[in-house]
Amino acid sequence: MRKQSRFGSRLLIGLVFLFLYAPILLLIVFSFNAGDSSAVWRGFSLHWYAQLFQNRIIMESVYMTLLVSLLATVISTAAGTFAAVGLYSLSRRKREALMTVNNIPMMNADIVTGVSLCLFFVAFFQGWGVFAKWFNGIQGAVALPTRLTLGLGTLLLAHIAFDIPYVILNVAPKLRQMDKNLLDAAQDLGCTWMQAFWKVALPEIKPGIVSGALIAFTMSIDDFVISYFTAGSSSSTLAMTIYGMTKRRITPEINAVSTLLFLSVLTLLVITNVREARLEKRNAKDFSPAPAKPRPAAVEKAAQWMGSPTGRWAQRGLAALCVAVFAIVVSGLANATTSRPVVNVCSLGEYIDTDLINQFEEETGIRVNYQTAESNEAIYSLLKSGGADYDVVVTSDYMIAQFIEEDMVEPLDYGNIPNFERIDERFRNLPYDPENQFTVPYTWGTLGIIYNTNVVSEEITSWSALYDDKYAGNVLLINNSRDALGEALLYLGYSVNTTDEAEIRQAFDLIASANRRGVFQGKASDEVFQKMEGGNAAIATYYAGDYLSMLDNQADGVELAYVIPEEGSNWFVDAMCVLKDAPHKDAAEQWINFIASTEANLANMDYIGYASPNREALEKYPAYYEELYAEELDMELYEIMAAPAEVLERCESYLVLPAETRALYNELWVQLGT
Amino acid sequence: MSKKLISLADCCMAFDGELVLDHINLYINDSEFLTLLGPSGCGKTTTLRIIGGFLTPTSGEVMFDGVRINDIPPYLRQVNTVFQRYALFPHLNVFENVAFGLRIPKTEGEGRSRKKVKLPEEEIHQRVLEMLEVVSLKGFEHRRVTELSGGQQQRVAIARALVNRPKVLLLDEPLGALDLRLRKDMQNELKRIQQQLGITFIYVTHDQEEALAMSDTIVIMDQGRIQQIGSPEDVYNEPKNAFVADFIGESNILDGIMHEDYVVEFFNRKFKCLDKGFAPMEPVDVVIRPEDVDIVPKDKGQLKGIVTGVTFKGVHYDTIVDFKGFKWLIQTTDYHPEGETIGIILNPDDIHIMHKSQYSGMFGDYSSYSEEYEELEDALQEGGDEE
Repeated sequence: MRKQSRFGSRLLIGLVFLFLYAPILLLIVFSFNAGDSSAVWRGFSLHWYAQLFQNRIIMESVYMTLLVSLLATVISTAAGTFAAVGLYSLSRRKREALMTVNNIPMMNADIVTGVSLCLFFVAFFQGWGVFAKWFNGIQGAVALPTRLTLGLGTLLLAHIAFDIPYVILNVAPKLRQMDKNLLDAAQDLGCTWMQAFWKVALPEIKPGIVSGALIAFTMSIDDFVISYFTAGSSSSTLAMTIYGMTKRRITPEINAVSTLLFLSVLTLLVITNVREARLEKRNAKDFSPAPAKPRPAAVEKAAQWMGSPTGRWAQRGLAALCVAVFAIVVSGLANATTSRPVVNVCSLGEYIDTDLINQFEEETGIRVNYQTAESNEAIYSLLKSGGADYDVVVTSDYMIAQFIEEDMVEPLDYGNIPNFERIDERFRNLPYDPENQFTVPYTWGTLGIIYNTNVVSEEITSWSALYDDKYAGNVLLINNSRDALGEALLYLGYSVNTTDEAEIRQAFDLIASANRRGVFQGKASDEVFQKMEGGNAAIATYYAGDYLSMLDNQADGVELAYVIPEEGSNWFVDAMCVLKDAPHKDAAEQWINFIASTEANLANMDYIGYASPNREALEKYPAYYEELYAEELDMELYEIMAAPAEVLERCESYLVLPAETRALYNELWVQLGT
Repeated sequence: MSKKLISLADCCMAFDGELVLDHINLYINDSEFLTLLGPSGCGKTTTLRIIGGFLTPTSGEVMFDGVRINDIPPYLRQVNTVFQRYALFPHLNVFENVAFGLRIPKTEGEGRSRKKVKLPEEEIHQRVLEMLEVVSLKGFEHRRVTELSGGQQQRVAIARALVNRPKVLLLDEPLGALDLRLRKDMQNELKRIQQQLGITFIYVTHDQEEALAMSDTIVIMDQGRIQQIGSPEDVYNEPKNAFVADFIGESNILDGIMHEDYVVEFFNRKFKCLDKGFAPMEPVDVVIRPEDVDIVPKDKGQLKGIVTGVTFKGVHYDTIVDFKGFKWLIQTTDYHPEGETIGIILNPDDIHIMHKSQYSGMFGDYSSYSEEYEELEDALQEGGDEE
């Protein structure tokens, strides 16, 4: 009986640990997958790790993460230590009250900390702008910058702010354990207070300082939420980059970088714990009776040295790690400070062949600070928060229309962008930029139904399939209101740009009723890749370019097809624009011209699977593909990527909706629930 | 021996409005062993910390060698301290602990010619080893201080302070954490070191035996005030008030009336004494030391009482005797069992008369006397004596 219950409890513990660690194990295992699916094992390979180190967006964010974490750790460790010393000299009641104040930020939700810091910075910047203008006005000697933005500085400040409490929490107990008279004794023996602190207090509280610093470093490295709100546009930490990459699909590259992140945090934690265990052991030894015979110094030291191999290795490892990290950061700093011209670009995740960035930098000597956001709406809110300092933004037609409407973009000097001539007539002067003053198209495509022909036996030709009880539990509803309602409007025969409330409500009822009947398995945006490739859902709607990449990753037994229903669909253009008051407009136009070139368009088309707006690129792609892969391009698929004119005629592009209609969309979308 | 080295003139100290030192006037002679004695919270450690420079008095003057030092920080004062519980630096070994003060560069010269001077390593080495020899710790240089016994740590603390050749050594309850046997040894040791080096010791303790055994001068403090200053013999034989009488040794303290010079009345009976100069019929406190009382058969005594308790103490018996409801402690070498009625005789020089004070009526009755209680109080004072 007893044996059985012991077995039971072991089983329970085993299950708990399995639950905790199985996902991480899975991630680690799949980071070594030779194929690029996250569901199907295709053999062992280090390919993704190699790829990782060539991916400049990831490597830049690794560097940024290390820079911020390291600087934040150093500064917060110093500040936190002195704060702890200050607290220590207060009366007990005041100290305890302040310690409670200190503990609140650690317990506080990250999102609240992040949002409030972001608000604070933006409010400060506005106040600063007013002050700087006034100050520059009354004197001419010093010109203060009038426009401050979120960036490395604010990111660093935020990290310092959330790291300090951890340092205080680790240092304060060591100070309290310290004999109060030690500082007095040192001063009595001739030290000033400062000397006494360095010579006596510091060695005593060093273990607390080191563990505080380690924890601060760990917290900084893996922070996402607070960084997300305070980094602004020009700096992206590793966690933020990973998040941006998952927008499209969890690639094995993400698995690889996550594995490395997990292992480094694990290493830090192990070092911290080993240190603590070792110190406890040493303290325990101190209370044991004094040894009878004094040992010679050398023997004593040797014994101490050999006494704790784990501690020794941990210490050596830590030292090596610090040196390595420091070297990386210093070399990076040196690189960054060589005042090269720069252009800040913001785009959607996984939306460029990163070789192009290197190529541009080599050709022009301009450094590209390439950042990603996870959606059009995210870019908009980033810009609106006032914290971004992008030069070039890539976003969708309807969002650009909104930018133009709100006077957020700068007219382009097309004389600097000769490659604009190569943009096909079809993609010029579109409704979002009728006179083509502000934009150069980046990619274009269609929205359509993707379905698994092994599950859906008949050919799908209508949006009605999305609301059909036949496919109950097998349909994924696209997780954005514009597309989801647009599909329903098309099915009902209305325009995707209708502002008629009755029509929109009718479309919504169609979706809501299907939802009540259980037709939808759920809403999906990122998840659509996994679900469709793995055969876990049969019908979804998504973009043509993404269908092509799903096709490359579909599991055995899954055969995906793409259709633009007979009722028509949405076709979209994603375009580049330059923001109002962009600090590097010349560089921005050089970048846009480079990206608009035929060579860049060919490379991008191949890499991301979205059609190019460049006339020559569209013509040359089949030949380019053949040369690259030594096989013929499947023209049927090419027509899905770059829909022919007759298909586009059936499709409608999104126009920017009036504010009240946007509000209605939001309201209805919330009603639908999750 | 008679040169004034340190003086405190009218020093007051208040923490958060609470007066901890109340108009302290005190001077300390060169090469003197002076003890600040008093119960926990009496202000003795505060006084020491003012001399050490860790506290600045709220008002009053602190003079050192004729110079006002109120605002001189600790590191510039020619005093060193042996702290309660030693305050040794745990990260340094014995040698480095002792060498600590010597390794701090000292500023020498004035104005432009000011410069930091470091002692040469050989000199440091020599002085540390010398001092370790003085405190009998030769051969312990490379030990970690955390591996030493309490007494050894104590010696390191003393060596660490003395190696700087201070004019004054301040000792804050240095023997408080040691066991009784070791404490006695260290008392002798300290006295020996003080005499050997000929420097001034200011010693803080709440242990009256320690104070009596070691000091040239004892300063008895209570509630932030000095109650009496004098040699050990003075404060024992001529206590100024009931507090001192009770704190130094054991005392039976009775209410009395001074009829005229050399005649005092208590228990409705007149006794001859050696005191004079009181107003006629002045109410006074009468002190009778337990060891001064002679026990005689009941009909031969000046007073009669009943024995209510006897404790064997080795050399003598602590005998509690009830005189008309007032209980005395009498120390005798003869055994008188509980319940026996005895008589006592008091000689004039056994009776000591004091003016009435705020402490009158608070001490001197042994009704609630118990060994355990005394010990408990001692322990409390040792543990809680921090300011």
